[in-house]
Amino acid sequence: MAYSFPEEVLEHVFSFLSLARDRNAVSLVCKSWYEIERWCRHRIFVGNCYAVSPEIVIRRFPELRAVEMKGKPHFADFNLVPEGWGAYAYPWIAAMAEAYPFLEEIKLKRMVVTDESLELISKSYKNFKVLVLTSCEGFTTDGLASIAANCRHLRELDLRESEVEDLSGHWLSHFPDSCTSLVSLNMSCLGSEVSFSSLERLVARSPNLRTLRLNRAVPLEKLANLVRHAPQLVELGTGAYSSEIRSDTFSSLADAFSACKQLKALSGFWDVVPSYLPAVYSVCSGITSLNLSYAAIPSSDLVKLISQCQNLQRLWVLDYIEDSGLEALAASCKDLQELRVFPSDPFGAEPNVSLTEQGLVSVSEGCPKLESVLYFCRQMSNAALIAIARNRPNFIRFRLCIIEPQAADYLTLEPLDAGFGAIVENCKELRRLSMSGLLTDRVFKYIGTHAKKLEMLSIAFAGESDLGLHHVLSGCDSLRKLEIRDCPFGDKAVLANAAKLDTMRSLWMSSCSVSFGACKLLAQKMPRLNVEVIDERGPPDSRPESCVVERVYVYRTVASRQRLDMPDFVWTLDEDSSMRYS
Amino acid sequence: MDNHLQLHLALSTTSTRNLPRNDEKKRKFDESFSDDEMTSNKRTLPLLIWNDNRNMDCGCVDVEEHAVVGWPPVNSRMRKVAEHHRRESTASNYVTVDNGGGGGGGLNSMYVKVEMEGIGIARKINLGIFGSYQALTAALMAMFGKRREMYKLTYRDKEGDWLLAGDVPWERFVRSVRRLKLLKKVW
Repeated sequence: MAYSFPEEVLEHVFSFLSLARDRNAVSLVCKSWYEIERWCRHRIFVGNCYAVSPEIVIRRFPELRAVEMKGKPHFADFNLVPEGWGAYAYPWIAAMAEAYPFLEEIKLKRMVVTDESLELISKSYKNFKVLVLTSCEGFTTDGLASIAANCRHLRELDLRESEVEDLSGHWLSHFPDSCTSLVSLNMSCLGSEVSFSSLERLVARSPNLRTLRLNRAVPLEKLANLVRHAPQLVELGTGAYSSEIRSDTFSSLADAFSACKQLKALSGFWDVVPSYLPAVYSVCSGITSLNLSYAAIPSSDLVKLISQCQNLQRLWVLDYIEDSGLEALAASCKDLQELRVFPSDPFGAEPNVSLTEQGLVSVSEGCPKLESVLYFCRQMSNAALIAIARNRPNFIRFRLCIIEPQAADYLTLEPLDAGFGAIVENCKELRRLSMSGLLTDRVFKYIGTHAKKLEMLSIAFAGESDLGLHHVLSGCDSLRKLEIRDCPFGDKAVLANAAKLDTMRSLWMSSCSVSFGACKLLAQKMPRLNVEVIDERGPPDSRPESCVVERVYVYRTVASRQRLDMPDFVWTLDEDSSMRYS
Repeated sequence: MDNHLQLHLALSTTSTRNLPRNDEKKRKFDESFSDDEMTSNKRTLPLLIWNDNRNMDCGCVDVEEHAVVGWPPVNSRMRKVAEHHRRESTASNYVTVDNGGGGGGGLNSMYVKVEMEGIGIARKINLGIFGSYQALTAALMAMFGKRREMYKLTYRDKEGDWLLAGDVPWERFVRSVRRLKLLKKVW
């Protein structure tokens, strides 16, 4: 009873499947479906660049057009991963340059990208369209110049949050006059001034430009000119938003903005002079995303701006907004889905603004669609967390950072177990959680019991014993990424849950209590896990096995466990079961 | 809620909603400055050294000095923004937030006159270098060479009223205080 559709038919059916998850499922049905699917997969996402090798990817998927990849673990953002650890893009770029001459898109996050890589990209792919480098480093503006000069059909160049060595602003002038295809340009992370006339001409000849994020060096006086050339913009990031207060500058800016009927997102606003904020009022009713995380704007001016943005869905703001501003936000922005409140003075011992747990409570009460929160504050209570959980059972992402490590409930002095417990119990769709404050093993029991959809968990200065970690690893069915720092979790929990680690993308533990012996044992027990001991004190086998390691990073991989680019402070298990570095 | 718990003399911040309002200013002497309240520190001590940096008068807190690496978890971009704002506020007392004060830099020099009952000569003290009532009182006692339990701290606010210190959060106190006076407790 053999029947089959011709390959072309199956291929056509598969072309409707865009999610990797669906395509992966399809490829498991039978060998012929696996074969057909792999030839027509054009887009992949590699969550950990060391989970697989370029050769394996190229062998399986010969026709890729778009590659998205992540490198360093998340805690690298906070300097917890020593410099030189890895995540080099070059081997991938070089291998793909040969295998995929028609590659169009490369999106990298937390990877080390060199000018050499950028030059190779610009010269190898004739139809290259999209380059997104998020939190990457290792390249200079010379690399950008290659991209600008050689990618004739470039649509997107997005350098969000990357660390670029800024040699000069001249790179922008390398875009040839014939380049008119730009849809998105994000240069907000760059320091130097680019030639304004080059920028203006580039914008003017890019009729499809939808996203333009300028860097701080673009002065406010020039913004109006740029905006006038691109009234079709959907997303705009301003440069410095300050200038001597002059009515002609203001009216010119206001006029330019009022022509932007499609504007949905605003960002930038460095060095804000609040008097210039009203220039954007004409577009506020259409704004759905506002990123003011670089802007020191007093609460009263923030409130004036935000209350005009009734359709706001996403707000990123500094804690200058204060509780009062958040209350106003809750009253005006009923469509709010995502809120991030960053600390203006993260290292100050005393609060410099009046932002407390109350602000978050107000927003959770007033904004029925709120599902994603990142909140830095200096005090919290179980009562507030319980109220928040009850108000907003629809949270998908909840990240709370109470600035002082191990801060207790400031009202009762108790741990915040009950509060976070309420969050996981009420928010059944919770996928991401970051916790802080004083927390015992009890909170982990709640998490293991209730957080069944949780995919990513970040823990710091919490817990009392291995039992805490055990609750999480044994209870959280959907867990993919677990990152832990400064917690008393050790060998027992890790070894008892070794099999769990195979179902996750990665586990990071730094300044915990995992011994070198346990790392070796784990690596021996689980051949498909790479157990990286990251320790800057010299070879771990020069110390007793019971000695605790500084950091351990465990991830599943189908590639070799001895990656060739390991620096001298990373050790993994060798074939002969000894830990060595390459 | 018991009045005792509301007198936050330790290094904690309190939600302004939970504190008694100004009309409850008069307090019994045994409710203020008694030893067990001084020591009922609202905070558990952190595992690691939290750099409780009091060097506000130099206004030049180097981010790199902080004892805990990578905490709070702000990325390098945010750290630069914070550093920039700190420099700004030190240089020009820029932040005109209504009730937020001037951050670390704005509290640079806040000299107020301090008198002690029974002592003819008044002194001056820089409030900007203290982080709490506890620290302030300790310094005052050291300055006048007196014992803490003998005196209560009162202050004159910007409206000209004399109030017992300790009722409002520290930051609010610092913004409104104009003069200090230590009065002998009446037994």
